[in-house]
Amino acid sequence: MKDITSAIQIIPLNNYIVLSMALFSIGLMGVLFRRNIIAILMCLELMFNSANLLLTAFSAYHSDPTGQVFVFFIMIVAAAEVAVGLSIVVMMKRNVESVDINLLNHLKW
Amino acid sequence: MSAIIVTTVLGIIILYLGLTKNKTILAPAAIAGLLVTLFLSAKEWGSGIGYYHNMVIFDNFSIAFNVSMITITILIFLFGIDYYKRMEFHVAEQYSLMIFALVGAFLMTSFSNLIMLFLGIEILSIPLYVLAGGKKFSFKSNEASFKYFMLGSFATAVFLFGIALVYGASATFYLPEIKTYIAQFHGDLPPMLLVGLLFIVIGVSFKVAVAPFHFWSPDVYEGSPTLVTAFMATVVKTAGFAAFYRLLGMGLLPLPVPLEKALWVMTGLSLLIGNLVALRQGNFKRLLAYSSIAHTGFIMLAMLSQHSTSASVILYYTFVYSLATVPLFIIFILVKRASNGLDQLSAFQGLYKKAPWLAVFMTILLMSMAGIPPTAGFMAKYQVFVLSISQGFLAISIFAILMAVVGIYYYFNVVREVFTDRDHLQDLVITRINAGLIIVCGIAVVAMGIFAWNLPI
Repeated sequence: MKDITSAIQIIPLNNYIVLSMALFSIGLMGVLFRRNIIAILMCLELMFNSANLLLTAFSAYHSDPTGQVFVFFIMIVAAAEVAVGLSIVVMMKRNVESVDINLLNHLKW
Repeated sequence: MSAIIVTTVLGIIILYLGLTKNKTILAPAAIAGLLVTLFLSAKEWGSGIGYYHNMVIFDNFSIAFNVSMITITILIFLFGIDYYKRMEFHVAEQYSLMIFALVGAFLMTSFSNLIMLFLGIEILSIPLYVLAGGKKFSFKSNEASFKYFMLGSFATAVFLFGIALVYGASATFYLPEIKTYIAQFHGDLPPMLLVGLLFIVIGVSFKVAVAPFHFWSPDVYEGSPTLVTAFMATVVKTAGFAAFYRLLGMGLLPLPVPLEKALWVMTGLSLLIGNLVALRQGNFKRLLAYSSIAHTGFIMLAMLSQHSTSASVILYYTFVYSLATVPLFIIFILVKRASNGLDQLSAFQGLYKKAPWLAVFMTILLMSMAGIPPTAGFMAKYQVFVLSISQGFLAISIFAILMAVVGIYYYFNVVREVFTDRDHLQDLVITRINAGLIIVCGIAVVAMGIFAWNLPI
């Protein structure tokens, strides 16, 4: 634990913040602009993991383990969420034979 | 705390009761379990015990909201007896998923730590993603489920990033500690903290469907099975507002100026978009979705007034709103069945001829939604306005009153359809239990408006 923390601290904190901001933005753009449902799910995971990275880095810099414990919570919840998400995709695929999000246009206004 | 444990176990028990293939015992078992939870919850009144290093605190605020949410869930389950009668498979799963969602709602009303808020929101949401897709072969239900899932996870990701940023600035997840940390800056916050707080507020706003983040709610309300929609519009909204109020009250008050401005803009937009878009809705479920966005605006107004009675007003408003919304959805289900699956407002035509008493009770419920005396909806709105005007927010209060007047128009659009003279409802079947519950809700709405309009917290 001690040497992991010090290993994390080799890189300045700002780099972690910029990296996770970049990951978060990539994920966000992916969710907004990708048209394949599986790709959208992956982008959502990317957003979750950018938050994980940020929490881990902050946790090491504050020398406070709570942040790293929270990462475990997030990982478990993200796994549960993606399980539900994938089953929704399977259900859709059975009905329409496609994973294209443009087909989801029956409900509007 | 015992309420959370009992409810979780109850969910598992109901899930296994599904193996007996006996549908008739599910609802009574679930309701009996929830009554036990109600009792256990109410017993902790006044004690204010914190558990797990004060990560969850069951104070009077959370107990009051829990009792209100359990009551509404019991109401929904009672209506579920008839609703799930035609469903052959997986009825037990429907009940137990709602019970699991209720556990998340309990966490959302009693957190004092951002980790618990996150877990509460997720435990509430994940069962709902599944429930929204309950009609497996209906494409609308698939679409609602997927939209809810995608936008819900998106909001959660934004929310998490906000938590990470706030943690980075303040090195803690405890709301009281965050509050003391914010207080030391005297209103001039560092950008990282401010962005983090804004992201957290956006994440919670998604869950309660405040205006710029509302666009998922009409689609999801329309596509989901109607009983699930009733659950989403009532219990989930109550839990979301309890969480929102607790977040602001425990961690953020007095609000930093940019955050407060953002919240006021959201309030105004909810009132405007909710009421104006509802005017041109032909679909009943979408109408109620937009009306719920409008109600969100009024509750936000009470919340931002930041007075010691705000919590009581929010509790009253959400409870009364739930009490009127659930029977309205049920009447809609009955009418939809009788008119071959028509879900437009015109489905209600001729209801007065077919069942006059039902038409009268529907009018009372809609009056409560619109806020016309002597119903409880009027007292709820009245208390919100008294609160906001007494705190000096005159301009937005007048705007909200104007929007409440606009609201009367579209609610009475439905009333007009109910009393239109046309005979196209073939056979309106109302079981005795449904009829009894609708009457009880109608009377309760009036009685609460006259007698019980000052709830203690």
